[in-house]
Amino acid sequence: MSGDALLRFADALGREAAAVALPAPAGELHLVTFALDREEYGVPVAQVREVIRVGEITRVPQAPPHVRGVTNLRGRILPVVELRSRLGLAPAALTPRSRIVVVEVSDRVVGLLVDAVLQVAKVPMETVAPPPDEVRSADSDYLSGVARWNGRLIILLELDKALLLHE
Amino acid sequence: MSADDNAFRELLDDYVVECLPLAERVADAFVELERRWRAGEPAEELLASARGTLHTVKGNSAMMGLGPMQELAHALEDLTLRRGEAAAALLVEGAGLLVEQVRAAATGGDPTLTAAFLTRARSVVAAEASGPAEAPERRRADRRGGDGAGNVVRVDFRRLDTLLEVLGEGLIEHSAVVEAFRRVSRRGGAAEGVADLDRSIVALEKTMKRLESVVMGIRLLPISTVFGRFPRLLREIARGQGKRVRLAISGGETALDKAVLDRLGEPLLHLLSNAVVHGIESPDDRRRAGKPEEAVLELSAASHSGRVVIRLADDGRGLDEAKILAKAEAMGLEVRSADPAQVHSLIFLPGFSTAEEVSQLAGRGVGLDVVAGAIHGLGGTIEVDSRPGLGTGFVLDLPLTLAIVRSLIVEVDQERYAVPISLVAETVRAEPEAIHEINRRGVTLWRGDLIHVSDGGTLLGTGGGDRPPRRFYIVISAGGKRRAVLVDRLVGHQDVVVKGLDATLGRPEVVSGTTILGDGRIACILDPMRILDQRVPA
Repeated sequence: MSGDALLRFADALGREAAAVALPAPAGELHLVTFALDREEYGVPVAQVREVIRVGEITRVPQAPPHVRGVTNLRGRILPVVELRSRLGLAPAALTPRSRIVVVEVSDRVVGLLVDAVLQVAKVPMETVAPPPDEVRSADSDYLSGVARWNGRLIILLELDKALLLHE
Repeated sequence: MSADDNAFRELLDDYVVECLPLAERVADAFVELERRWRAGEPAEELLASARGTLHTVKGNSAMMGLGPMQELAHALEDLTLRRGEAAAALLVEGAGLLVEQVRAAATGGDPTLTAAFLTRARSVVAAEASGPAEAPERRRADRRGGDGAGNVVRVDFRRLDTLLEVLGEGLIEHSAVVEAFRRVSRRGGAAEGVADLDRSIVALEKTMKRLESVVMGIRLLPISTVFGRFPRLLREIARGQGKRVRLAISGGETALDKAVLDRLGEPLLHLLSNAVVHGIESPDDRRRAGKPEEAVLELSAASHSGRVVIRLADDGRGLDEAKILAKAEAMGLEVRSADPAQVHSLIFLPGFSTAEEVSQLAGRGVGLDVVAGAIHGLGGTIEVDSRPGLGTGFVLDLPLTLAIVRSLIVEVDQERYAVPISLVAETVRAEPEAIHEINRRGVTLWRGDLIHVSDGGTLLGTGGGDRPPRRFYIVISAGGKRRAVLVDRLVGHQDVVVKGLDATLGRPEVVSGTTILGDGRIACILDPMRILDQRVPA
């Protein structure tokens, strides 16, 4: 499966899901998953607008530390959040697999810089559990849960919290 | 059902759009009427025009089933047949009420607010004065008084925003073509067709410029839309203060971008009420000082090479320099110069108010620093000039629009920034020996004064590290403050289309927005005013 075909699929799915107020079979979670460090993370497909390659990112002076900068998305200015830094992971250099996941949360469009986009997955709801107490901390409310599925562990992100939209 | 609701709401919106300016015009006319009656000047024409306008408001209100407005307009029409102080005061009050009611038309009007007024109005209008005959000429006169209504199409402002956005993209693409052409011609030399392409690009540029001025022209509104409500408000303030003030407005036709106008009303009103409350003396004091009891407050606007200059001058007592200096001392400020201009400009500092009593309208914690901040936020400057006993004047210098800003593009540690050119006083080649260090602060001699020199990299946090000395500095100057900023390269001039700062980016102090350059790269737009205010790091 080519990565780009996957991305287009994710894009199409995202639009469709957003348009058709999610009549997904009850009990399934539609996710776009991506890699950060050695873990797999997931966000709802309905919140993903598209996935783009990493172009030139312009740094913005005095922006919050987890903001990498802004990039030109077809003439619009897209803020790019460095998800690694936001989640407290070590910084990493860009690679050919690096992508920007463009998400729409609370009427705002933001790009998430991730190591790689992995899959569009339908994950059965019963595989999802709240984040274990062991990993919770004062500022961990951007974790909405953990899915154990097909031998994988997918960490589900609560995007509006992860993006500090309610500061 | 909900479609009907929507249709009705749209009609209501239309009603407000049409009637609010009419009601405001009537209100202004009555303020002027009161003055003329008092001065014994003729007012028949004014009255006739106001009656015609009222009639239109009455008709529109009736059509929308807005009883309170209809009755108000009718009562005011009747009142215009009376004469004298009492009638004039009622007319002004009633018209103010009408403006409020029309503005709140979405709620259907509030008869409880208008009832008391109507009772008083009817008691003034004597029983024999039945409603005036409605001469058709009046209505026509009113139409003619409008602004060429026949050729006007109403357009939702958001559509203009979209149009501007598209234009902005066109401008960016044009810059991209120019850039590409430059690269090609550098490499290819005099290949066939290069001259044609060059001509086409120049022609395209002219077309884009024309398109830009047309689009901007549509967005421009006369500043009278802001000035319009001042005579009435001023009258209220003056009456509350027991003062007599005449507002002389000129240049109301000067046009400004709606986005600027929307943010200009508050600061101007603040300056006006300040002038009345603090600047202008009581009638007794004025008589003792040999001045006419009625003070004159002049408000004027004029456009001047892509900017608009607004002046507000009173003939009051002027700023009290001694008091300002005392206050500065109490605040622990060192005042280095006794130059009156320097002393006067202290009033724009935060927490600076020399007014002894806190009045209801001016003062109350909101100082001139807020006004200055609002003006600076619009990319403008504000200056004050004052002479003891003769009055105080404010000069506001504002850009025509917030949407497109002529900028100087500079480079610092490979990062590009746009600096609004209106506040760049000069660009200078930075000779290392011309920059000195005093008390660990860089300074340089510029036009006979020592000014502070900041490193662009430090200011913007580029993290440049070891590097060759920067080759240029730009001098930013506004409101008597100046500062030099060192940069690596001056890239050129460009009209940049301003794009906002997404909330995700926080609130950077030195950056006011972003823009897309010709090569598709994004540059941050620096905020010169905030850089001038920075507490001297580096």
